[in-house]
Amino acid sequence: MSPALAQVVPLLGQVTIHNRTGGNASCVAQNKGFCLGWAIDNFDRYTTPLLNHLLLVLVSVAIGFTVAFAMALLSHNRRWLVPTFTGTTGVLYTIPSLAFIFLLLPITGLGWTTAIIVLSVYTLQIIYRNIVAGLANVPAESKEAGRGMGMTDRQLLWRVELPLALPEIIAGLRIATVSTVAIASLMVFANVNTLGGPLYQQIDFKTNIVIAGGLTILMAITFDLLLLLAQRLLAPWRRPPREVTV
Amino acid sequence: MEADRSTPAASVTYRDVTKRYPGQSHPAVNHLSLEVPAGDICVLVGPSGCGKTTAMRMVNRTVDITEGDILIGDTSVRDRDSAELRRQMGYVIQQTGLFPHRSVADNIATVPKLLGWDRGRTNARVRELLALVGLDPAMSERFPSQLSGGQQQRVGVARALAADPPVMLMDEPFGAIDPINRERLQNEFLRLQAEIRKTVLFVTHDIDEAIKMGDRIAILKDGGHLAQYATPAELLMAPADDFVEDFVGADRALKRLALMRVRDIDLWEAPLAFVGQSTAEVRAKLNGAEVPHALVVDSERRPIGWLSESDLQSGTVPQSPDSGPDPILDLDDVMRDALADLLQTETQYAPVTDAQGRIAGVLSVEIISEFLVSPEAKVEEHAAVERPHGE
Amino acid sequence: MNITPLHLAFLNTFTDAFNFIFHQQEARTGQTMVGGPHQVLHLTGQHLKVTFLALGAATAIALPAGVVLGHLRRGETFAIALGNAGRAVPELALIAFVAAFIGVGLGNVTIAFAVLGIPPILTNAYVGISQVDRNAVEAARGMGMRGLQIILRVELPLAVPTIMAGIRTGAVNIIATVALASLAGVSTLGDLILGRNVYGDQGVVAGAILIALLTLALELCLASLQWLLTPRGLKLARAGA
Repeated sequence: MSPALAQVVPLLGQVTIHNRTGGNASCVAQNKGFCLGWAIDNFDRYTTPLLNHLLLVLVSVAIGFTVAFAMALLSHNRRWLVPTFTGTTGVLYTIPSLAFIFLLLPITGLGWTTAIIVLSVYTLQIIYRNIVAGLANVPAESKEAGRGMGMTDRQLLWRVELPLALPEIIAGLRIATVSTVAIASLMVFANVNTLGGPLYQQIDFKTNIVIAGGLTILMAITFDLLLLLAQRLLAPWRRPPREVTV
Repeated sequence: MEADRSTPAASVTYRDVTKRYPGQSHPAVNHLSLEVPAGDICVLVGPSGCGKTTAMRMVNRTVDITEGDILIGDTSVRDRDSAELRRQMGYVIQQTGLFPHRSVADNIATVPKLLGWDRGRTNARVRELLALVGLDPAMSERFPSQLSGGQQQRVGVARALAADPPVMLMDEPFGAIDPINRERLQNEFLRLQAEIRKTVLFVTHDIDEAIKMGDRIAILKDGGHLAQYATPAELLMAPADDFVEDFVGADRALKRLALMRVRDIDLWEAPLAFVGQSTAEVRAKLNGAEVPHALVVDSERRPIGWLSESDLQSGTVPQSPDSGPDPILDLDDVMRDALADLLQTETQYAPVTDAQGRIAGVLSVEIISEFLVSPEAKVEEHAAVERPHGE
Repeated sequence: MNITPLHLAFLNTFTDAFNFIFHQQEARTGQTMVGGPHQVLHLTGQHLKVTFLALGAATAIALPAGVVLGHLRRGETFAIALGNAGRAVPELALIAFVAAFIGVGLGNVTIAFAVLGIPPILTNAYVGISQVDRNAVEAARGMGMRGLQIILRVELPLAVPTIMAGIRTGAVNIIATVALASLAGVSTLGDLILGRNVYGDQGVVAGAILIALLTLALELCLASLQWLLTPRGLKLARAGA
């Protein structure tokens, strides 16, 4: 690493330990794997980042889902749109989030706006793909029956197709949410204080890593299980579909 | 295919074979013993779950034998390495299982390649087989997804025959095909078998297919018991017990018609009327004839039509009589099909011709039903080679 | 449309970024020269080197494991759960964890990145192989192919699309995260992004552009590779289906 850079980026293994108050001082000084004392004393420094993290994830996934849903409705009866939408969301998905943050730098600067944009765009591909696949897998007989009973296209969509596509849609939502929780910790680079914040500030302090990283993973698992439960409850007539492998 | 070049067929013997699956109280196959002579088709038939597929699959050890032994020729299948054993057998399954990522030619060449044949020999064999199963050589570079179900099944059979195995195992090979093509494939396979004479173990749930295809039929009961092992004629005439009788069906007598040809029966004679002959002569012949109608034939004795009353009024036999000759049956037609034709067209009498199209006799429904109740019918038993399929 | 100062700023930064790539300039901190094609190429090369090392390691571990499990049809729960778990791992924490608990340097960093690549590759290998047409596999077995032959001649060719999709996902995951390797002492394009004070906004944006382009290029290469590896019969089957 160039000397210039070394001055400003906390290089792992070289940072001086500062600002670590309270709790088992020797444990901290030796940087043991996990210092319970310190963790208990300093837990409050994680609450704000945790809440920020949660809020960011919820907002981004909500926005991403809304946009992807709108796109799916648009392309439902205009099949020619599907390749365009799939391609665009695919390209956006491929751009690494970290890079995306800084591509937006000249436009939206750094901050919540940038973070929300980056995270919601990332969810577009997987949610859109799953909604489209879910709708495509609705059995033709069900649609025939619906039409035969006199349903309009709109009623058919909302009363037959979407409910039947629900398991797959929720599966996509699950994957998107879990991924977003993981990436949201990178938003520290967009100046948003998520759980990546405390992590980055003391990046070589083992206890810190365990807490910050652990909380992130815990949040991801919680969302995963909650949505899995929702999947099972909302669509009891079907076993959960095979995961659409990314 | 020259007979001296091909692998001689081998007999297949089941010796007290039992298959038990762990956790199940009843064996899937229960002390099965039977012998299939070399070159015969043995059909394993029975209701679903009777163990017929399991029994067949123990021959190539895709299912392991729990007790007992199976011999190919004189060698036990248990003595051999299973992969090598399988390369010596043809294996056709219902869904064909063609490799979608390989061309037809590559599919067929699978076992030869496994056995290490050189390119030239393999290619020649592929061409030979395509012709044998009735496929256009242009098909060889196509892929399975581009073929119809019937074509795929033919490729499956060709693939099984590729290494010229002495034994063929076929598990409901025509089950997934529509009835019309199924019949065609069955006929073609029988024609093929007449040429190459492999020992075939054929599994089906359809008793009619069993009767049509089998030289010998093994009926299996639920629980893998052998209910009867006999030729089709024996099975139809002397079912071993109630189960077999029920399984064969109440229409046994009609089923026997599938085993006979028109030439097997004594035909009636109709008075012949040649074109240009005087109708007075014809009328004379009609007195006391077996068939009360005159058949108009040409100089080669080929049927043109039946003479009606109004035809008889004119002086000479006309070139085109009022009624046509149809249905015209052939001496080699399967009796069941002939009866079907008669009933279909609602004709009482149908002319029967030989291979050159010349009149040989007349068939009617009456003749058939008389024959079925006659004492000769009960005694008759056809050896395999005399059956209506295969020359 | 009025050209506002915002638009100008936006345009400016991007032109500055391109400038940064092609011309050396003075660092923000004033002491050294930064930017220019030499440094950019060096960092790009480093970035690719780490990516391919990690991808290679991940594939070497995950692909055989997934293929064997899929062939034997064992461990489905494990394979699927691994895929799920992989998505939940926060990259920043992972790199920090490896650096703190195991050590810094190229070798350790590669481990961290390989860990990111393993789940999608293994899961997709498992699913791809286990979902191959069972009839083709049964026919192959019945014809006398042994296990390894079945895998190589039947299952792998037919599972290429799914397996490659997994490798592509793994590759994209890895290349995206390699930028963080800078935090562990390994120079990559991440240096530019994380060193705003040194390289300035133009350096940061330049880094972002390069990483994005590199990722898209890798994805394109792997997509072409997938197309090349997919057997013709399979392409026809999918077209006809």
